[in-house]
Amino acid sequence: MGRQVAIVSAGYSEHASKRSDVSMPELVNEAIEDCLAKVPSVELKDIDAFVNGNMPAFEGSNIPELWMTDWMGARNKPLMRVTTGGTTGGSVAISGYYTVTAGIPGIDTVLAIAFEQQSQGDTSVGLASVAYGEISILNSLGISYDQLNRLLSAGAAIGVAAYQATTYMSKANITEEDLARVVVQNRRNAAKTWWAHLKMPDLTIADVLDTPYVQYPLRYGMVCPASDGAVAMLFTTEEKAKDMCDIPVYVNGVASVANETAVLGYDGSGSAQLDPSEQLGAMKSADLAYSQAGISFPRKEIDYAEVYAPFPNQELMWVEKLGLFEETTAPEMYETGVTAHKGELPVNCSGGVNSTNAIAASAMERPSEAALQIMGKASNQVPKTVHTSIGSGWGGSLNLITLMAMSDEPKRKWK
Amino acid sequence: MSEKIIEKNKGLVKADFGFWVGLYMDKFYDTFEQKKIIGNKCQECGAVFVPPRNICGICNIKLPLDQNWIDVSDEGILINYTRTAYKVTDRRARKAKKLNDIGMVQLEGSDTAIVYPLIDFKEDDLKTGMKVKVKWKDNPTGGPSDIEGFIKG
Repeated sequence: MGRQVAIVSAGYSEHASKRSDVSMPELVNEAIEDCLAKVPSVELKDIDAFVNGNMPAFEGSNIPELWMTDWMGARNKPLMRVTTGGTTGGSVAISGYYTVTAGIPGIDTVLAIAFEQQSQGDTSVGLASVAYGEISILNSLGISYDQLNRLLSAGAAIGVAAYQATTYMSKANITEEDLARVVVQNRRNAAKTWWAHLKMPDLTIADVLDTPYVQYPLRYGMVCPASDGAVAMLFTTEEKAKDMCDIPVYVNGVASVANETAVLGYDGSGSAQLDPSEQLGAMKSADLAYSQAGISFPRKEIDYAEVYAPFPNQELMWVEKLGLFEETTAPEMYETGVTAHKGELPVNCSGGVNSTNAIAASAMERPSEAALQIMGKASNQVPKTVHTSIGSGWGGSLNLITLMAMSDEPKRKWK
Repeated sequence: MSEKIIEKNKGLVKADFGFWVGLYMDKFYDTFEQKKIIGNKCQECGAVFVPPRNICGICNIKLPLDQNWIDVSDEGILINYTRTAYKVTDRRARKAKKLNDIGMVQLEGSDTAIVYPLIDFKEDDLKTGMKVKVKWKDNPTGGPSDIEGFIKG
């Protein structure tokens, strides 16, 4: 049985499409400073170990954790690096949790850091090396990158999300307007989040629908931006947490589950998924994390959710798959304001990945925001009291889901 | 020795990558334009970093961007060196006509070393601990290559 783990703080750098004013270590340092500023009794020297992660293929700068060691305050301290595609941040956060819960002597307080400075490199090419691992095989057969893109998708993650969107839309019988509504909620929420990228306080559904298609049914106005940014989370033991902050957030359940990677079985390497919106990995993650946390009725017991969704259809799909709403009912929840800032179950009040996407940081910004909402320290704090919240991540081609369930009560008290 | 190439990949994807130098390095390179070198000093342990850093890794404390900047000399001590028969700037190039020397130099007033080519040295000349000084480019533009290398001090 591991130790009870608590989150005591989370911090951000400013996010933008180009943070050309700072180097990568400086960007990371911004998030760490913001994180530590919220816990005045904690200094860099009080941190016992570090977990660091990004997607180095996107910037082309490899082993960044080594050349930013001093900038993180990690000199001569245990340091682990984690990278799992889009879920990198989620995996880094979970690794932070594991490092504390393991109970290694002398390692109580752990700083988890995730970041991306995409403006330095070519993300699409970087993504090709990740999402389309098979590209090298096809290249060697003389099929060029350009042709490959046209064959499989419009390129990057949207090619994957489009199939999820079309299957979900036919299942739930919804229109593009329902997708646009999700975007409007997110971008308006982002306007109230200091570190967010796309802030659009006056965005309307008509505005979103007035933009051209990138790939049907997803329009330019619906897709996430490419951001530069960093996030940091501070994990520690239950005992130490009480001295560091007023409301420690207890991590009561974590999960990281993948299902079959083959997008459409195009490379012959695995079974094809006939329904890209099925999301067995998300359902299994939810089962695992909720059972650890003692959550039996997610809809009733979860007060706030940060769901990783670069595209609006994914937000609808995942709030259902993570057990917050019944299948195909999510669009109605957005229409009736259930998921709004003042709603019964607010979702993505930070603006979500749809408004800010510094790849590796994104999947950690979900649990970090979910934690800050419990502490009452979120930038766009919801009016209701949040006792229990979740933060999810998505990565790989269609398939890897990370989930962290947290609460203002340690889990053993529930059992 | 002949080169062994299995097969050239026709569909090779190429991409450009770079990195933003950031606030501290930007300030550092700016002074190159006046043929000057600056570093920043840890307010606690007094270590002087060239190039500058925003955290002193020894003390784990922040070095503020607007404080503790000091001028260091463009003369220093050769800490270590190596020689290569290949062109330093172009790894694909085969052997260079003459040997290239590269050295780690600790500038006077700093506690760190920077690595640059050593210019016009004969093998017998090179000794660790010897005095060297910066050879500046004629028209510096505020970038890393404003320092061409080090010559005998």
